[in-house]
Amino acid sequence: MSDTILKADGLKKHFHLGGGFMAETKLVRAVDGVSIEVRRGETFAIVGESGCGKSTLARLLMRLLEPTEGAIEFEGRDIAGIRGRDLRELRRDMQFVFQDPFSSLNPRMSVGKLVGEPIETHRPGLSRAQRRQEVARLLSTVGLRPEHADRYPHEFSGGQRQRIGIARALASNPRLVIGDEPVSALDVSVQAQVVNLLHDLKSELDMTLVIIAHDLAVIRHMSDRVAVMYLGQVVESGPTDEIFANPRHPYTMALLSAIPEAAHGRARTRLALSGETPSPAAPPSGCRFHTRCPFAREDCATRIPELGAATQESRVACHYWQEIAADRPAAGLTPAAGLSEGAQRRFALYEAATQATTPHPRTAANAEA
Amino acid sequence: MAVFLIYRLVRLQIICHQSCIGLRMGSAMVPGRIVDEGDRRDMDRPLLQVEKLKFRFRGQSQDVVEDISFRVGRNETLCIVGESGCGKSVTALALMGLLPRDSVRFGSGEIRFDGESFAPSDHDRIAAMRGDRMAMIFQEPMTSLNPAFRIGDQIAEAVEQHRKCGKAKARERAVEMLRRVGIPAPEQRMGEYPHQLSGGMRQRVMIAMALANDPELLIADEPTTALDVTVQAQILELIAELQAETGMGTIMITHDLGVVAEIATDVAVMYAGQVVEYGPAEAIFNDPQHPYTIGLMASVPSLTGPRRRLSTVPGSVPGIGQMPEGCRFSSRCPFAAPVCASRPDLAEIAPGHRAACHFAPLDQRLERRA
Repeated sequence: MSDTILKADGLKKHFHLGGGFMAETKLVRAVDGVSIEVRRGETFAIVGESGCGKSTLARLLMRLLEPTEGAIEFEGRDIAGIRGRDLRELRRDMQFVFQDPFSSLNPRMSVGKLVGEPIETHRPGLSRAQRRQEVARLLSTVGLRPEHADRYPHEFSGGQRQRIGIARALASNPRLVIGDEPVSALDVSVQAQVVNLLHDLKSELDMTLVIIAHDLAVIRHMSDRVAVMYLGQVVESGPTDEIFANPRHPYTMALLSAIPEAAHGRARTRLALSGETPSPAAPPSGCRFHTRCPFAREDCATRIPELGAATQESRVACHYWQEIAADRPAAGLTPAAGLSEGAQRRFALYEAATQATTPHPRTAANAEA
Repeated sequence: MAVFLIYRLVRLQIICHQSCIGLRMGSAMVPGRIVDEGDRRDMDRPLLQVEKLKFRFRGQSQDVVEDISFRVGRNETLCIVGESGCGKSVTALALMGLLPRDSVRFGSGEIRFDGESFAPSDHDRIAAMRGDRMAMIFQEPMTSLNPAFRIGDQIAEAVEQHRKCGKAKARERAVEMLRRVGIPAPEQRMGEYPHQLSGGMRQRVMIAMALANDPELLIADEPTTALDVTVQAQILELIAELQAETGMGTIMITHDLGVVAEIATDVAVMYAGQVVEYGPAEAIFNDPQHPYTIGLMASVPSLTGPRRRLSTVPGSVPGIGQMPEGCRFSSRCPFAAPVCASRPDLAEIAPGHRAACHFAPLDQRLERRA
């Protein structure tokens, strides 16, 4: 289990902004020295707020962007500089699911064409009839019906379109799928369908999943390990359960304490952050979080913290995490009583009825089509 | 889609012109009203009461919103929850009189604001209160501020219109409001344009503008959806603080059950244009009775406790015109039975707690059925 499928080392991506006639260009450090390791068979999550560079990182890992600096290894092979046929081969093994199911599908192509296209590219040996069969198989894998192949994207709801996007990603039998906010454009009830689908597919097809998201509840639900990003850098990483129970970086603490939870009357001590994320074009000196950190000290503005080992599994980039942890023993989410009895009973009733009425959960999406 | 476009257009126009065109009539309300009003207030009387509100858009065969009833008291927060397309935003727009007159047809309904009764189609009288006694903040702070005017001028304009005060007074009030919503160096910020502010700051400006005339009712339509969680926490706290200060009633429209749990005193759950469950927040969270409420809550991944497989609500919301007969949720409901072909009433199952389901209260009825 412990072999690494994808590894980034000191990854940087800087963009030049502006630079009109005689104007100076601004350097935006979207991703600034990120090192992560994704293990085979796990779900790895990257979490952060808007502008933290998580989507840029996903595009770098996927080689949709070329890194300014740093190395990316996929199954032990450096892929930071590959092009041409090698890159095409890489795309077969590594696929992407996009956030917006409305703009990521070509409205002029039928679903059969959309899903058939990657099959054509990556498995050119298949005949037309075989390809059609394969499309039908993929569609039923993601919970759509084979006859949907003749329809067009606008005929589908958001959740169904995301399923089409997933079918496309699966077409080349990838070993790694990267999802950039794969469920955040969907309504909660539909979001749950897609979360469950990704979970099932992962175990059925023996894939590794990298999920980029801003919704911590979704992350906790889906992932085994997580990396928290702030302004282009990873501030904390480790096993999901450990980080949620015992966050060490003040930013992670604040992020966790800021999420309102859907349960009544649960008072929580909130670690409030003042202000908003600074621009990645002019990141603060020293520790990038020091301008908003409630525990910041003088030297935080000058000394850059390294992402160092906190335990065997987890790493944190803060000078004072040990002292902060000593002062604030219960920084994580208290595994409180959970749901009230009434709600639990009702959920059980509902779940039992759902099981009884839909024999296979995956067919859920078909109900309305 | 067309409907959606209309909302967007309306939103934009209203925001740009809110304070300058339709609202002159409202300025009969004199400044300082809030202070000397205590004697007029009847504490038993809800601030806002909506009865059987029902309307459709011209050319449509079914109502977008059907028989919506709820009430909001002073100092209370009613959350209207539902997924996209359930009619929660149109309901708010209708209350504010912001739906275009000639494209909407009201079937029935009554709005009582502080004891006064209005027909929902009475645009002029509603317009007179809008921006003054009731105010609204919108989801996208990007598009709801006018990009061509300085934020100070935009806030001052709203004050000037309603309070009939001079420019200088209005600007003073604008600075005061900016300070109250936590914008640092308000005097300088007055001269900035919306694009110079971050999303969170823009939303603060929107709040400052909405609250500049001390409204008694604030309607907030997904005010934090476009914001990051840490900023969302700041904004929710700000609204709560201002509410505690002014005692205003708040209607918060949201799809985020976490936000609801945090701020609601009462909750109305909407599905496909109907209120399917209504009651005190505690009852909704601890004793949910409508299958849709339960499905919605069970499909939210939890932050604590053991990780379980998420429950789902199968399928998706049927389009207008494809609604099933009777209970509109019956096409997706795991408990659906032949009886669901007739429409259930929003019946009271416990004091103040109503659910529109033939099987509510679920525990007893379903057990009996099994």
